Amino acid sequence: MGLLSIIRKIKRKEKEMRILMVGLDNSGKTTIVLKINGEDTSVISPTLGFNIKTMTYDKYTLNIWDVGGQKTIRSYWRNYFEQTDGLVWVVDSSDLRRLDDCKYELDNLLKEERLSGASLLVFANKQDIQGALSPNEIAKVLNLDAMDKTRHWRIVGCSAYTGEGLLEGFDWLVQDVASRIYVLD
Amino acid sequence: MNDHTDDTSTDPTTHRKHAAMIDRLSNLHQARLSTKPNPKDPTFESTQSFLTLFTTSKQSIESSLTQIQQTPNPDPNSDLEKISNSISDLEKLVAENSYFLPAYEVRSSLKTISDLKQTLDSVTSKVKPRKKFSFKNKPAKKPEPEPESELESKLQPESESKSSYTINDSPGFRGTENATLTKDFTGLEIREFVLSDLTNCEVKLKGRFRTLFINRVRNCKIYVGPVSGSILIEEVEGCLFVLASHQIRVHDAKGTDFYLQCRSRPIIERSCGVRFGPYRLSYDGIETDLKESNLYEDTGNWANVDDFQWLRALQSPNWSILPETQRIETVII
Repeated sequence: MGLLSIIRKIKRKEKEMRILMVGLDNSGKTTIVLKINGEDTSVISPTLGFNIKTMTYDKYTLNIWDVGGQKTIRSYWRNYFEQTDGLVWVVDSSDLRRLDDCKYELDNLLKEERLSGASLLVFANKQDIQGALSPNEIAKVLNLDAMDKTRHWRIVGCSAYTGEGLLEGFDWLVQDVASRIYVLD
Repeated sequence: MNDHTDDTSTDPTTHRKHAAMIDRLSNLHQARLSTKPNPKDPTFESTQSFLTLFTTSKQSIESSLTQIQQTPNPDPNSDLEKISNSISDLEKLVAENSYFLPAYEVRSSLKTISDLKQTLDSVTSKVKPRKKFSFKNKPAKKPEPEPESELESKLQPESESKSSYTINDSPGFRGTENATLTKDFTGLEIREFVLSDLTNCEVKLKGRFRTLFINRVRNCKIYVGPVSGSILIEEVEGCLFVLASHQIRVHDAKGTDFYLQCRSRPIIERSCGVRFGPYRLSYDGIETDLKESNLYEDTGNWANVDDFQWLRALQSPNWSILPETQRIETVII
């Protein structure tokens, strides 16, 4: 109890946010993180384990946890749930065949109690690809409307390849988390 | 080291302290031995005791599953909930002990758990009474399109958008047997290409691609020009692939050879008997295509395969490097 409140206080003081990025493999999580941080995205290996990126965004410090999405390691996602302020679910909008998988994994994730307070940003990634579904279609497939009352969520179309939409998504997420956590400031 | 021991043996005070410490330690050890392992503490660092506990819980879950099927209960929800809880407890048990268990035990326990979950699902759908039809007080959304969705529907009619993810209109070859399939996009960049449900085919694709999906392909030879984004390969058997890409992910592959040029480390998952060699493809203009896709330089990454089911320093038994004598010659398409 004591430690927790100290951590909370420090967090508030430094305006830190913990953001968890998850989604199926090949959806572009690492590419999104590196792109938004202005790094080279041309030699990214599929993530075995996780990457942490700390970056300053507006006046906030974001700790972004980018966790590998291969099926074998999805069961380890839960090790990263604690203290998550914002959840980013990344969808490969061009991978129509695995949308069911995607919905199944997202549904499972959202059942998690430790994530119940986190704002959810869904990135409909790979919008630069012809056959990609629009954010609206993805929202329909994932049935996002169903959690209107229980969670702050938003879907944003983006392309980690061109960088389009990434800032819009993070802007919303950071504002939404800030309005919840730092409401007193 | 030796000096140090000498020091302690000569100084009587240190010696006494040392003896006292040894004494304390052995007392502690005895105390630890005499207390029985706490059954509530789920980690016990012994594979045997883990397996015993695991099997007992598994059997009790199985028996309650059969019971719930045999004795119909008008309100099975609480029972199902209980079973579901014990399955997740079991899962937690595996997770908490996974750090010391051999990889095989972890995998087989996880498999057992997923089987149990499946059985629970099927039992649930069998046992649970269907929801009774009733009128709800909620206002229906569909009939009155809100101004926002109206804007969207102008761009994409409702009926079309609903089916658009089942009817797939991205370019590709699908559902073909015993054929040679060729497409020449030399000098162009195709955003997306799909190869699915092919048997005994030879596929030759020239040109550049942004992304490539390959699934359910058997006994095929597949030659493709550079892919600047990623390639996702699922459920392939007895194939030969010659591919170049930024990222290559292989799931559920059996007995297949891959000749790759890859900017990052290729990965395999749930695969066995797969072998890797360097990219061996040639067609008019391939050099330009490779350069444009930033895939001209040989990174040697074709040999740096990550097996997501083999997270140890030892070589994974699921893949190997093709011996030079068994590699194919450069293929000209």
